[in-house]
Parts: sequence; C-alpha cells; structure tokens
Amino acid sequence: MSALVLAIPSKGRLMEQAATCLESCGFSITRSGTDRHYRGSLGGLAGVDIAFLSAAEIANALKEGTVDLGITGEDLLRETIAPDDPSTEVFSRLGFGPANVVVAVPEGWLDVATMADLDDVSEGFYARHGRRFRIATKYTNLTRRFFAEKGVAGYRIVQSLGATEGAPAAGTAEAIVDITTTGSTLAANRLKILDDGLILKSEAVLAGRKDLIRDARIAKLLERLPAG
Amino acid sequence: MPGKTPAERLQFEKIERAVMTVFEAAGFQHIAPDILQPADIFLERSGEDIRARTYVFNDPGGNEMCLRPDLTVPACRYHLSHALQADEETLYCYCGPAFRFPNETASPGEFGQAGIEWFGGTDRQAADARVLKLTLGALEAAGVTRPRVTLGDLGLFHALLADTAMPERWRKRLTRHFWRPRAFRDLLADYSAARARKQTSISAHVDAVAGKSLAEAVAALDGIVPEGGRNVEEIAERLVEKAADRDERQIAAADVQRIDSYLAIAGDPLSALTSFDGLGGGPQFNSAAQAFARRLEEMEELGLNPRRFQFEATFGRSLEYYTGFVFQIEAGEAQVAGGGRYDNLMSDIGAPVPVAAVGCGIHVNRVLSAIGVRP
Repeated sequence: MSALVLAIPSKGRLMEQAATCLESCGFSITRSGTDRHYRGSLGGLAGVDIAFLSAAEIANALKEGTVDLGITGEDLLRETIAPDDPSTEVFSRLGFGPANVVVAVPEGWLDVATMADLDDVSEGFYARHGRRFRIATKYTNLTRRFFAEKGVAGYRIVQSLGATEGAPAAGTAEAIVDITTTGSTLAANRLKILDDGLILKSEAVLAGRKDLIRDARIAKLLERLPAG
Repeated sequence: MPGKTPAERLQFEKIERAVMTVFEAAGFQHIAPDILQPADIFLERSGEDIRARTYVFNDPGGNEMCLRPDLTVPACRYHLSHALQADEETLYCYCGPAFRFPNETASPGEFGQAGIEWFGGTDRQAADARVLKLTLGALEAAGVTRPRVTLGDLGLFHALLADTAMPERWRKRLTRHFWRPRAFRDLLADYSAARARKQTSISAHVDAVAGKSLAEAVAALDGIVPEGGRNVEEIAERLVEKAADRDERQIAAADVQRIDSYLAIAGDPLSALTSFDGLGGGPQFNSAAQAFARRLEEMEELGLNPRRFQFEATFGRSLEYYTGFVFQIEAGEAQVAGGGRYDNLMSDIGAPVPVAAVGCGIHVNRVLSAIGVRP
C-alpha cells in the first residue's frame, strides 16, 4: 500500500493551528527527506506522508489528485471545488480558522440592505453610469454561484489579488466579496455586510478523496480529530 | 478528439450546406459576421449561462474582446454597420463556429451554429411563423426526423403584467426576474397582500425619508460618503422609492392568482388558447392572446400543425433578450435549435430606431448527434 499524502499549510497562522491540532491529537509532524521544506511524515500514523503547500494550493492539489488529503480553509476549498463535486469530501471540520465569506458594500449606501437591493442597483447601473457594476473579489466562483442563486445578474467581477476591502474607496469596484473574521477590517474601510450577504461560514477542514472514507488510516485519523 | 478528419469535415459541411440551401432559397442573404467580437455587448445582454461561459480576453490595447458565444449579436452588429437604415427589412443567414466553455452536458467549447435573422419585418406573427417553418425545414433537410417543438410567448406574460395594477418599477422588477422562478415568486409574494413587511437593516433610513420629497431626502443625507461610484442623489432616490413602496396598494390576491394560473398553463397551443380566455385577463392580455392565435393560423397557413407542438407559459430561453415568441426544437436527446423574437436588442446595441427582429439558431454538432453521426 503506497503512502497517503496529507497536505498541510506551509506557513502562517493556518500552519501553526493545523500543527497544533494534529499534535494535540497525538500525531507529530516531522520534516524529512532531501527537500525538508516541502515533505515530512506524520508520526503516530504509519503510511501517511506530509506535503507542505500554501493554503491556496491545497485545494488545487486535491482537485488534481496530486495529494490525497488536505487541511485548508473551507473558503479556499469551495472556491476551487464545488460542494456537489462527487470526487472530494469534507471528512472533518476542525474548529479553527473561522472566517466568513461575505458580500459587502459601502456604508454610505443607506438604500441597500439585501441582495435584492444590490440586484436593483446593479441593473440600473449601466444606464446611469455607462459602465457595469463591479464586484472585486478573489472568490470568483463562490461569487458567481451565490449571485446566481440569489438571481443577481447585472454585475461583473474584477479579479482582486489583495486588499480587496480597499477597492470601493479606490474606485476600482462598487462592492466586494471577501473574507472577514471580526468585521473590523470592513468597518475600517467603511463597508457593511448585506443582511443576506453571508456566502459561506468557513473554518479549517480536513478534506480528501471521497473513496478514502473506507481507508483504515483515515478512520484512525478521524477517530482522534475533533468531531464535526 | 481535436480537429475533424476529412470524413468528419465532409459530414459537417454536408449538414451546413443542407441547412443553408433552405435558408438561401427562402431569400436570406448569406453573411459571415466576425468571430472576434467586442465582449461588452455579450456580457451586458446575455443571461448568466452565456456570460459565465464566454471566452473573454484583452487585446494589447486593453479592449475586452471575446470569441462569439452566439451569432445573433454579431449578425445585429453586422446589420447596423451595413444597412442604410436600421429598420429596413433585411433577411440574413449565416453559419460558422461559436464558442462557449464546455459545461456538464459535455458541450464542446467550439461548435457549429447556423441560423437566420429577420430584421424590420412588420407583420410580426407571419414572420414568427415563417422562421419556425424554415427552421423545421432546414432540420428536415439535414436529416432530422421527429422533431419536438416547444413554444412560448413572452408577449403574453408582459401583457398580463401590464394589465395588473402596480407601480411601473415593480413591473420592471418582476419582468426582469421572469427568468429566475424562485426570485420571481419571492418578489411577487413581497408585492402582494399575502406577506407582512420585512424589517431590514435599512428600515430606519427608509422611515427617515417617509413623506419627504427627493430634494428633502437629498438634503437629509448630506454628509454621507457614498463611494463605490454612486452619488447621494441616487441613494436618496431609491430610499424615497422604498418609502413610497410601503404606501403603494399591494397587488391584489386575485391578480396574483391570475399570474400563477397563467404560469401554470402547459399543453398544446390550441388548448392553451382556451385557457387564456378563461383567465379573465385585461385588454392588453387579450390582444396578446389574439396575436398568439393569429400566429397559430399563420403556422397552419404554412402547412405546420400546431397541435403537435407544446406550449409552456414558463418557457423562456437562457438568452434574456427575447421579447415575444420563443421556441426550441429537440430531436433525440438534444436541443438542436431554438429561436424567437427580440425586438429590443437592436436599440440596446445602438440602433437609432426600434427594429423588429426574429431569428433562429441551429446547433450543427447536435444535429449530427441527432441523426446518428458522431460530431
């Protein structure tokens, strides 16, 4: 039986929390091999190798099948892999890294509370301003899916590579879809979340190939991880 | 499999030729609109399905371009740049590749489309019937047997709303959401007497402008930072509208019932006609129903048997620019053709006068599958 590859975040807070989570369950992470930065093994569970990848890369690696399992943010996972994708399953919600993906508009828009309002504003926007209503985000797919569900169509997406919350003030977009934990960054940028603008209540998850559910190593891993 | 072998190419061209021969014989000029198109019109005017599936990219000058996802808009643009007068009656046909991201139904990213567009035809019902007749004739020439035809008529729906007492802005919103059944239902429930008013996070702001004029509302909002490209006037305007919405008489239960009953109509077009009579619609609906009846007569005139077609009140296409008659044709498992009337599109993309327009598109790859040839 070949070793399963478990991808965990290679840096940042999510890496620390993933490591703490695994260690508190009695597993140890050892960096090993010639490329000590990228590979390791999971002490306490034979036959599981570790790959250190950036959190954003983990969903891609799962999708492409270059890793079997991964710990990453649900937001990043769902941006890459649709919830109804039959190949991937969330095995466990890990209880750390909470973050919400939300639709936010300028606070000064006193007339906008809901997605229906946003729809109204975006439909009239072209006639009024001669350009389309723009949403800045790095969550292109989550945005498209959610807006379609809510029946909002008169917008276009502006790819944002960072500091999305600054886009409305900078004049590069009218509204944003972004991640927030406490809402303070949004507030500091004079943005408010729509009443029905919660796209995803995200946290760190353990996800992997669906057929692994019958693998004894997964059973052992799930037994000790926090239930969820 | 990338590309077509010589045999596949011949098969493909044979279908295209069979279809185009029918169109050309009927007096349609064979044009070749550009494959490369400015992206804006498509992104503005198309439904989500096409919007999310169009190949869009920037040229070195920063202009947003796309590979045409459909040939109707390119044909309209062709007409606007070639016709001396936009509303001059002109008949076009075309065939060539169109491009959309492949989706779950395993459509290829590049596929063949053949079709006709009829601009400036003044007898709308006759033109509608003839486009359907020609589409069926072209499919038959291509070897398609036992086509199944579904019809719809957005004119009936618009007329029904026009006869129903409500503020114009509600009507506009309902019309926009016809394409999204759930959003439509929620909106209708909101506007009808059946549901209590919802409180939202901006209710206090709406309260604050209640009874105020627009100018007073603008003055009251002095000092807010609108950002995101909107100004204080437009925010005040929507708040005043929202306050006015509260005082509007809500849509009567009987009217909601009538809209529901209409949307539930499905069956052969002649029975549908009987159902229209039973709805108790107003003058505009009745005149739309007469136009529907006349279109059926025109079809019979052309040797079609409308009894064999299926009418569905909710039938619309995912292209949101249709305004009246709509149809789709299935053969075997696949939708092989579709079309309809789109009287507003030309004005939307810059025609100085309104231009009546009706057309169809045939999906050549699906025709090949339907007649049992691997596309």
